[in-house]
Amino acid sequence: MNSGWLLFERLILRPLLREPVRTALTVFAVALGVGVVIAIDLAGQAAAGSFHSSLESLTGKDDLLISNTGGIDQNLLGRLVQLPYAFRFSPRIEKFAFLNGKGEALPFIGLDLISSDAQDEIRPGALSHAADLLTTGDPVWVGSRLGLHKGDHVRLLINDALHDFTVAGVLKPQNGEIGEENVIVADIGLAQKATGKTGKLDSIGVRVPPGQTLGFWTDYLRKQLPSSLSVEPQGARTEENRKMLAAFRWNLRILSYIALVVGAFLIYNTISISVVRRRNEIGIVRALGADRRLITFAFLAEALFFGVVGSAIGLVIGRAMAVGAVGLIGNTVQALYVSSQPAPIEFTALGVLTAVGLGLAVSLLAALAPAFEASRVAPVEAMARGREEYVAAVRSRVMVAWAIILLAVGAGLTNLPPVHRQPIFAYIAVLFLIAGTSAIIPSVVALFAGTASSLLERLIGVEALLAMRSLRGSIGRTSILTAALAIAVAMTASVGIMVGSFRETVSLWMNDQLRADLYLRPAGLSAIDQHPTMSLEIAEQIAKLPGVSAVDRFRAYPITYQGLPATLAGTDTTFETSASTKFLPGENRDQILRRLSAGDYAVVSEPFANKHNVHTGSVLTLPLARAERRFTVLGVYYDYAAESGYIVVDWNTLMRYLPDPEVSNLAVYVKPSEDITAVRRQIDGIIGGRAVLVFSNATLRAGAIATFDRTFRITYALEAVAVIVAVMGIAGALLAMVIDRRREFALLRFLGAAKPQIRRIILCEAGLLGLLANGIGLLLGTALSLILIFVINKQSFGWTIQFHWPVPLLLAALTGIYLATVLAGLYPGQTAVRMNPIEVIHEE
Amino acid sequence: MKNKLGAVLLLLACAASAQQWQQALPGYQFQFPRDYFNHPDYRTEWWYYTGNLRAADGHRYGFELTFFRQGIPLPPQARSSEDAVWLPDQVYLAHLALSDIDGGSFYHTERLNRAGPGLSGASLEQQRYWNGNWEVRWNSLSAGTQHLEAVCDRFTLKIDLTPQKQAVINGRNGVSQKGPLPGAGSHYISFTRLRASGALKMNGSPIAVNGVAWMDHEYFSEPLDRDLAGWDWFAIQLDNNEELMLYQLRTKSGEKSLYSSGTFVDAAGKSHFLDVSQFSLTPGAVWRSARSGARYPISWKISIPSLQIELSEQTALQDQELYSGNGITPTYWEGAVSYAGQVQRRAVRGVGYLEMTGYGGPLRFGE
Repeated sequence: MNSGWLLFERLILRPLLREPVRTALTVFAVALGVGVVIAIDLAGQAAAGSFHSSLESLTGKDDLLISNTGGIDQNLLGRLVQLPYAFRFSPRIEKFAFLNGKGEALPFIGLDLISSDAQDEIRPGALSHAADLLTTGDPVWVGSRLGLHKGDHVRLLINDALHDFTVAGVLKPQNGEIGEENVIVADIGLAQKATGKTGKLDSIGVRVPPGQTLGFWTDYLRKQLPSSLSVEPQGARTEENRKMLAAFRWNLRILSYIALVVGAFLIYNTISISVVRRRNEIGIVRALGADRRLITFAFLAEALFFGVVGSAIGLVIGRAMAVGAVGLIGNTVQALYVSSQPAPIEFTALGVLTAVGLGLAVSLLAALAPAFEASRVAPVEAMARGREEYVAAVRSRVMVAWAIILLAVGAGLTNLPPVHRQPIFAYIAVLFLIAGTSAIIPSVVALFAGTASSLLERLIGVEALLAMRSLRGSIGRTSILTAALAIAVAMTASVGIMVGSFRETVSLWMNDQLRADLYLRPAGLSAIDQHPTMSLEIAEQIAKLPGVSAVDRFRAYPITYQGLPATLAGTDTTFETSASTKFLPGENRDQILRRLSAGDYAVVSEPFANKHNVHTGSVLTLPLARAERRFTVLGVYYDYAAESGYIVVDWNTLMRYLPDPEVSNLAVYVKPSEDITAVRRQIDGIIGGRAVLVFSNATLRAGAIATFDRTFRITYALEAVAVIVAVMGIAGALLAMVIDRRREFALLRFLGAAKPQIRRIILCEAGLLGLLANGIGLLLGTALSLILIFVINKQSFGWTIQFHWPVPLLLAALTGIYLATVLAGLYPGQTAVRMNPIEVIHEE
Repeated sequence: MKNKLGAVLLLLACAASAQQWQQALPGYQFQFPRDYFNHPDYRTEWWYYTGNLRAADGHRYGFELTFFRQGIPLPPQARSSEDAVWLPDQVYLAHLALSDIDGGSFYHTERLNRAGPGLSGASLEQQRYWNGNWEVRWNSLSAGTQHLEAVCDRFTLKIDLTPQKQAVINGRNGVSQKGPLPGAGSHYISFTRLRASGALKMNGSPIAVNGVAWMDHEYFSEPLDRDLAGWDWFAIQLDNNEELMLYQLRTKSGEKSLYSSGTFVDAAGKSHFLDVSQFSLTPGAVWRSARSGARYPISWKISIPSLQIELSEQTALQDQELYSGNGITPTYWEGAVSYAGQVQRRAVRGVGYLEMTGYGGPLRFGE
C-alpha cells in the first residue's frame, strides 16, 4: 500500500504538479463537463418542479381534484357537500393576474374564505377573513414577495380588464413551501366576478375521509358526477406536466453530456501524453519489480485524480451555472409548454451521484487504453533513450473497417422506433456515428497530411510543412485532439442546423399561417397554457367596421387528453380566414374546412397527432358539457406553436358545448382597399380602457421569432461549453507537445529558425488541427443534424422540420471555433519561444 | 336560550348594524309551521338539538347538533351586485358534539359556511336546515317528526325525532326577555321531549341508539347586554314526564341577572313561565379544564320552591368542554347530565343538558 502510494506520488502526482497549467486545464475540462451535467439536471428539475405550486402549497392537504373543461357549475358544490361522507370540498378559481398590468403572471386564486375548510389553508383563520370580507372593499390576500402591505390598493390585470382591490393581508410564508410568495388570493365570489367566471368553479379540491383507498373515493365521486367531470388525485396535473416535459428535459440532458464526452477525449489524450512522457520512469519501475497491474493502476489513478478533483469543482461550477440555466430553461418551458414558476435549486443525492459517477466513469474509461498501453512497456525498451515520440499504434486498415461497421450500425439504428416515446436508439446511433468518425480520423489525418503538405508549404511556407510533418509524426495524438474538437464542432453544427432548420420552418409556416393584418390578445406575458380572454364585444364591434373584411375568433381551453396536457380550441373556419392552414400532404383542405363546421368534427395539430397516434378518421372522445363527446378527426395540420398540441373545432361547435363567447385571440383582416393604420386607430377606439394588445402582422411575427430564439438560448449555451472544453484541450495538448519537442525546436533554432517562425509552427499546428476538426465536424454535424431533425425531433416532439442550412450561423460558429483553436496555440507558442535552445540541448 | 350567540356575533362585530333588523318584541304571534324555519328579518337564529341516548347494551351517549344563522348587513353596493350567491349576507355556523359517557370521551367539531350555492341554509320549502351534510329534515310539518343526520370524520349520527309533546313557547307574551331594553330578548320555542331513535356509527358497523332529545329554536336581533359575563342553562327531562328549562344570566359583578327565567312543562304539555324569583341555582363541585384553564361548576343544586322541586345535577363525564383553541370563537362547557331529586316529595330522576359559558374569562366579542 505504502509503496503503491509512493509510486503514485512519484510517477503521477509530481509530474502533474510540475505542469500546473496543463493539469489545471484537464481538471477544468472535467469540471466543466460535470458542471454542465449538474447544472442542467438541477435547472431542469427546478424549472419543471413548480407547476401550480402556489395552489398546492395553499391547499396542499387535498387528496383529489375535480375539474371540468370550461369550468364546473357551482351548484354542483352544493350537492357534493351533502354527500353522506366526511369529505371536505374546497372550491377554487384559478387564473393569472398582472400587477398593474405588467411583469410576471401571478397566480390569482379564488377560495371559499368563509368555509371552515379554508382555515387550514389561509392563515390567520376564516373568521377574521369573514370580517375583512365585510369591511374591506374587494379584499385580496397577497404573497410576501410582492412587497405589498395590508391596506394597499392594488390594480390587477385579469383577462382584458384592470380591477382594483384592497390588500386585506399578507400571507405568511410557510416553511419549505414554494410559490406561495407571489400568489394573490381572493374570496371565491370576488374571484369569479374578476375573472368573468360567475357561477363557475375551475376546480374543487377534495379531502377524503379515512378508512378507504383513494381509488374507492375516486370511483364513488365519479358516480356522483356528470361524466364530463374529471376526478384525479391531487398532483395529477403536475404529473401530467412533468410527463409532457419529459422529452424536453431528456433531450436537454443528452445535450449536457456532450461536454463530458469531449472531456473524455481530453482525459484520454492527457493520460496518453503522461504515459509517453514517463516511459523511462515506467521502465525503471518495471525493472525494479513493479508488475503490470501496478502500472495500470497508477495511470488509472491519475485519471481518477482528474475525475475526483474535476467532479468536485464541477459540483461547485454546476450549482453556479444552474442559476443561469433555470432562467433559460424556465423561459423555454413557459413559451412552449406550461406556466411554471422556478422552484428552488436543490441538490438531490441522486443527481449529484449521477453527475459525479459519470465524471469518474468517463475519466476512468477514457484512461483505460493508455493505462493498459503503459503496462505493456517492456523495462529494457523503455530505458533505452531516444524513443520519446508518441507511438500509438495506428492500424489504419483495421480502424477504417471498424469505422465503416460503426457508421453502418449507427445509420441502421436510426430506423428503429422510439422506446416509451424516447428516441433511445437514435441517441445510440449518434454515439455510433461519433465513434465511427473517431475511428476514421487517423486515416483522414494521414491522408490530409500526405496530400496537402506541398500545397500548404506553397501557401504558408516552410512552417506549415514542419507543422504538418509534426502532426503526421504523432498521428495518434493528433487524431485524438482532432476527434475531440470535431465532436464539439459536430455537436455545435448539428444543433445549429437543427435549430436553424426549425427556425426557418417556423418562419415559413408563419408566412403561410399569419395572413391577417392585425392580431389582438389580452395584455400580459402569459405562458402558453394560460388563455386569458377578451370580451366578445370587441370582436363584434370590430367586425362591424367598414374597413374590416373578416374577424377570426379563437378560443382555447387547456385540457387533458390521455393523461397529457393539450389545448382544445374553437375558431372561425370560414374559407377566407382558414385558407392559410396547411394540412399534411394528401389532405384536401377545402373539403376539410367545409365539413368542419358541419358537426362534431375536429382537426388536430401535427405534434398532437404524433403524440397520441391520431390520424385522419380517428375519433377523439372528449368529456364536454356533462358527457363524453366524440369528434371525428378530419385532418392533421402543421403547427409549431405548442408541443402539447391542439384539437381545433369550429367556433359554433365549441359554443354548443362551452357557451362562453369570450375570445382568447382575434385576427382581423382589413379590406385590401383600406388603410391598415386607420383601421387600427378605430380598433384602438373600440378597445377603449380594456387591456388588449394589438399587433401588426410584422410585429407578431417578429415577436414569435424572438420567443423562438429565446427558447433555444439554452442549447447554444450548452454547445458553447462543449467548445470551450475542446479548445482548452487543444491548448493543453499543444503545450505538452511543445515541451515534448523542445529538442526539436532547439535544433531548429540552431539551424537558423527565428523565434516568430517557431511560434508560427505551433500556430500552424493549431490551425491545421482546427481546420481538420472543423471539416470533419461539419460533415459529422450534418449527419447528426439529420438524425436530430428527422428521428430525434420527430420521435420526441413530432414536428415536421424542413432541412435548412443556417449558413451565417454556421459560418460564424465555425469561424469562432477556428479562431479559438488558433488562439489556443498562442500560449504554447510563447512557451516554445521562451525556451533557451542551449539549455535544452544541454539536457542531453 | 341564548348560548352560542357570542360565536356568531363575532362575525359581524365589526360590521355595524346599518340594517334595520326586526326586533323581538312582546305580542309576537307565532305561526307554525312557518316559525319552525328561518327568519331572515332577524339577525341571529339557531336550532339547537341535544339528547341523551342509550345503546342496546346500556352504553350511554350524549349528542349536540346546533345550527346557527347570522344575517350580516352588507354595504349597499354589494347588494346590487348581479351575482349574490357568494355574498356572505347569511352565514351559518354549526356545532356537532358527541359525548361517549360510558366510554369517557368527548368529541366536538364545528363548521362555518355562507349560504353559497346550497352549502348551508334553512328553508320552509325544503323543510330542512343544513350545513353541508349536517342536516335536520322535517318529515311531517304537522306531526313535527324530524330526521337528524350528521357526518364527521369520527362518527355518523342518524336520529329520528318524534315529539312527545307540542312545542312550547318560552318567556311571556311571545318573547323571552334578556335585558331591560325593548328588543333585548328573543322569540324562543322548545320541543322539550322528543323521542329519539336511530343509529350511531363510530368505528365499524352502526349501533342502534334510543333516548330522549330536546330542541330549542330562537331568533332575535339585539346582542346580549354588555354587562353580562355568561350564563348557565339547564334542560331537564324528568322520568315523571315533566320538563324544565332554566337559565341564569350572570353579570360581570357575579350576580344573577333579573332577566334570568325558566319554563316548567307539566306532564300534559302545558308550559308555565318561571321568573327569576321562583328558582335558585347553586353551584357545587368544580372541574378545571387543563386546556383553557376555565373552572366549571359541574354539579348544581336546583330549587323551585313554588313547584316543590328540589334537584341535584351531576355528570358522568366531566370533560365536555367545547374548546375552540383559536382565540376567536368562544370556549364553553356543554354536556349531557343527569338529575335526581324530588318533585312534590316524590323521588324523580332525569336526564338533560347543561351549558355554561363565560367561565374562562369574559366572552370576547370580535378581534
